[in-house]
Amino acid sequence: MKADTNFSEGCGIPAEARKTLTQIETDRAAYKRKLIISFIILAIAMIMVLIALKLDFKFMKNQLPFIFAGIGYTLLVSFMAISLACFLAIVGALGRLSKNPVFNSIASSYVSLIRGTPLLVQVYMWYLALPQIGKALEGYGFTGIQAFFTLPALTAGILALGVCYGAYMTETVRAGIQSIDPGQTEAANALGMTRSQTMKRIIFPQALRVIIPPVSNEFIAMVKDSSLVSLMGVWELSYRAIKMGRRHFQSLEMLITVALIYWMMCIMLQYFQEKLETHMARGDRSIR
Amino acid sequence: MMENDSPMVKITNIHKVFFPDMHVLCGIDLEVKKGETVAILGASGSGKSTLLRCINFLEEPTAGKVVVDGITIEAGEKDKLRNGRIRDIRKRTGMCFQAFNLFPHMTVLENIIEGPVTVLHQKKEAATAYAEQLLQWIGLSEKRDEHPSRLSGGQQQRVAIARSLAMKPKVMLFDEPTSALDPELVGEVVEVMERLAKEGMTIIAVTHELHFARDVADRILIMDNGNWVEQGPPEKIFNNPEQERTRQFLAHIL
Ligand SMILES: Nc1ncnc2c1ncn2[C@@H]1O[C@H](COP(=O)(O)OP(=O)(O)OP(=O)(O)O)[C@@H](O)[C@H]1O
Ligand SMILES: [Mg+2]
Repeated sequence: MKADTNFSEGCGIPAEARKTLTQIETDRAAYKRKLIISFIILAIAMIMVLIALKLDFKFMKNQLPFIFAGIGYTLLVSFMAISLACFLAIVGALGRLSKNPVFNSIASSYVSLIRGTPLLVQVYMWYLALPQIGKALEGYGFTGIQAFFTLPALTAGILALGVCYGAYMTETVRAGIQSIDPGQTEAANALGMTRSQTMKRIIFPQALRVIIPPVSNEFIAMVKDSSLVSLMGVWELSYRAIKMGRRHFQSLEMLITVALIYWMMCIMLQYFQEKLETHMARGDRSIR
Repeated sequence: MMENDSPMVKITNIHKVFFPDMHVLCGIDLEVKKGETVAILGASGSGKSTLLRCINFLEEPTAGKVVVDGITIEAGEKDKLRNGRIRDIRKRTGMCFQAFNLFPHMTVLENIIEGPVTVLHQKKEAATAYAEQLLQWIGLSEKRDEHPSRLSGGQQQRVAIARSLAMKPKVMLFDEPTSALDPELVGEVVEVMERLAKEGMTIIAVTHELHFARDVADRILIMDNGNWVEQGPPEKIFNNPEQERTRQFLAHIL
């Protein structure tokens, strides 16, 4: 072995290598600098466009509290719908992977039907069409069921969003579970674990790490789609913005305001996603 | 007399046919006495892994009977309690895989206490105390709180052995435990297996590791195309094989 390749002695980095290293470092710093400058220029350009549009910033500021009062509904709908979607996604994924024909076919049909129809149609189904089903059922002797099938707008919205995103997330969770090495299940089985113990202790925790990015994506999409409940007259963010914009003939100002509020919420979600991802990765990223 | 000891593992006329017509095991019998160490050798694809996996029902035999520590399961029975009996066999049977299959989201210690705590419902403190003894026994006490991906292959396989031993099994199954390892790491794993054999564990190992087969195993079985070709003590198999097929196979690995 030549002396200069002997690592155990600490071989000493030769001058040319040092030069390359410095070059790499300066290139990296320059890239970072340029990236930040690009972002700043973009932001300035956006603000200039807003100014050039002669937006009524004072009006925006005055209306902000009114619009912002809708954030409670937006957060409520999003939170409830996300919880429902998570629950349905786990049950749905287990169904899609189940060897029980009834459970499996129900889960598969759910995913197919919900993914195959527009969310807008589904929202109206829950809100406007369900009472009619109740009425038909009353005709078959289920008295009093129509009232039960006539949902308040908020409930209809939460159900529509939760059921819809639950179907998309079912596929995400299923793919996450299937991405785990079958050797993990075998090792758990060999220890004598039951199927549910294996799922809970071995498969889910590993699948969770895989599905955080796509699921966060779906959460972010859902927060924005919560605006669909405005169609049913729930006074959430976008409903208020559209209403005020129309009344004062300043829709542009109101829409930009509400768009920025959504954007901020999504930026926060993205921040949590990144935090969660680094937390889950704690030094045990599989290197196999 | 040895005949009076009921064997720890007894499998009778095991067939395995992978759907639709891949006949991998053709009526295999095997008896392993308590405390015996047997090594199974054979060419790739001859059915060694499948046989081992039929013992703890990771693979469902197509026909035949398996008895482990007095628990009997027959292929194809329809019995409500069968899954429970399969789990009973698995609790008494440790298995080590070629790819280690440690749980990557758990630390070394968590890996080892997972079975005792989740399956045997032991108290965490008790399981931890025993796990620490095992870690000392495999010489990895200082890796207690590491995640498996930070360990070398040899260390991972030793942890996998400790994970199995934490269940206090009656039999250990090894499926080529060293064939995924760099040559310099094989020794540390074989050394642990050897100590295990010396301490009286019943071991069924599929391995081509020569030192283990020749010096540790009490008996060697040669498999080919889902049948036994020959079996006997290592001296006889290595020095004086009866079958031509055994000679050919040994010429390959020696
Ligand atoms: N799940 C399966 N489905 C179909 N065929 C299979 C399956 N598992 C194994 N086989 C086949 O069964 C045969 C025996 O496989 P097995 O893994 O038991 O061999 P082996 O003796 O362990 O070989 P190796 O030394 O390569 O591990 C092989 O031909 C393999 O292709
Ligand atoms: Mg094999």
